[in-house]
Amino acid sequence: MSIRLKLTLLIGMLFAGVLGGVGASLVRMERAYLMEEELQELRILESTLRRAARDALVARDEILLLSYVKFLQQQFPALAYCRIAWVDGQRTRSHSLGMRASSAQVEERSLRERDPADSARYVQLEAGIDRGVFGTAVDESIRRLTRDIVRLFGIGLILAILFSDLLARRLCRRLSALSSAALEIGKGKLGLRLEPGAADEIGALTRGFNEMSARLEELDALKRDFVSAVTHELRSPLGAIDSFLGLIDAKLRSGPAGLATGIEYLARVKTNVGRLSGFINDLLDVAKIERGKLECAPQPMNLQDLARDVLSFFEAKGREQGVALVSRLDPGLGQVQADPERMRQVLVNLVSNALKFTPKGGSVWIEAEQYRENGRRFLEVSVCDNGRGIEPEEQQKLFKRFQQGKNIAGRVTGTHGTGLGLFIVKSIVEAHGGQVGVRSVPGKGARFLFNLPMTETR
Amino acid sequence: MATKVLAVDDEEDYRVILKDVLEGAGYDVRLASNGEDGLSILKGYRPDIILADWMMPRMDGQTFVEAVRRNEAQKSVPVIMLTVRQTTDDELDALHFGVDDYIVKPFSPEDLLARIRAVLRRAKP
Repeated sequence: MSIRLKLTLLIGMLFAGVLGGVGASLVRMERAYLMEEELQELRILESTLRRAARDALVARDEILLLSYVKFLQQQFPALAYCRIAWVDGQRTRSHSLGMRASSAQVEERSLRERDPADSARYVQLEAGIDRGVFGTAVDESIRRLTRDIVRLFGIGLILAILFSDLLARRLCRRLSALSSAALEIGKGKLGLRLEPGAADEIGALTRGFNEMSARLEELDALKRDFVSAVTHELRSPLGAIDSFLGLIDAKLRSGPAGLATGIEYLARVKTNVGRLSGFINDLLDVAKIERGKLECAPQPMNLQDLARDVLSFFEAKGREQGVALVSRLDPGLGQVQADPERMRQVLVNLVSNALKFTPKGGSVWIEAEQYRENGRRFLEVSVCDNGRGIEPEEQQKLFKRFQQGKNIAGRVTGTHGTGLGLFIVKSIVEAHGGQVGVRSVPGKGARFLFNLPMTETR
Repeated sequence: MATKVLAVDDEEDYRVILKDVLEGAGYDVRLASNGEDGLSILKGYRPDIILADWMMPRMDGQTFVEAVRRNEAQKSVPVIMLTVRQTTDDELDALHFGVDDYIVKPFSPEDLLARIRAVLRRAKP
């Protein structure tokens, strides 16, 4: 059943219920009021009869009473009959006015009124009140009222249904706009936005939908960037290897003169193979991280040896770029509890990033500081540079998978990478129970830091 | 006089390969490592053909080609784009912003030389 139908039925039923209830209680109240009015009328009739009887006694005029009772019978149809006994001392004269009806609804009232001056004189009245006359009048009124209420009820119900249908249509139009937009997105048409309209629940839903749509578009753009980065990162070295192999072939065939160039090209092939395998390892690591299967075997190790090793690996590149590479680690630094191969990966990634963003004349250095927390010793390691730095809004994005700072392609020295390095660094450090962070002032350089538990000396 | 080629590529490997292939074919080669370098070489040098990579640091191939096309002295120099971007959309974009031919990396030396010759032939007055 559609929401529109449900809503219409619901509002219709609600309206019918309310109107029915109100109508019924209105009828009940009206009936009670009419009953009360009937009693009132009876009391008036009774007191009028008494007064007429007394007036007639005082005036000693029997005829006055008879004609007045006749007049009353015309005015009050409920006064079915009236028997009058005029008692004057020993004399009694009886009169009977009207038919003595046999209806069960006729109720007899007996009244006695004395002459205030002479208690021997009195009038005995037996008045037959036909309750049926009253009942008919009440029933007639109630019937009229009920008819009016039913008429009103019908009109109201039709209006309510029309109104609720209108309301439901409005609601449903916005809902179906949402559902068709969701279908469109499902078909791959990203970046759809809807007007939230009123600030109600559907408006909130629409805003949520818009946010989701924007996020999907963002993810899609991220995926495209990643695919293009991966393509570049795979094709570029592969292409170079392919071309170099062709050239080496030609050099070797051209005789001894080409030998030296051939050997130089072989070294370039090797570098490219290294770049390819490094990239593939990164992809495999990311796959492991996603499955939660990044293996780390922490053991006591010296970070200063590793740092020296990593820096010397980049020495040639640093010299070529005019960037100094320095280890500022204290030789007496204690041991950390870490997986040496994973730590190498972390340092290689951080140093190679620092090199990319540090122009000629700058420097890249590694430093570390011990601290205690909750009785345990930790080492905070920083890889720093005085290169171009990172804008604050970019800083938190850096550690997310596939994300790189903006305009990265325009500013780095060397290959731009794939946005996997810092994600891997973060995952490795977290697998060791540490945390990563970045501090940077744009234009002044950047500091990437992480902490590791230290080996407890016994 | 040897035909003059300006090759712009940010990756040293590709600069080495291009220099080797082109000099082997008898061209006079100048190299630049990004668009900015390329433009500064063009200030005092008029090549017969330009080979340009697309994605480069500092100034990318598109900005470089557009700058060349705006320069009165250089705008008729044919440009071949050498890139790893391989979709048809990329190629159409490149043709729109002013390149004369489009080669997807990796390329074979024969293909590169044949395309250079073809572009030069079309460019001859």
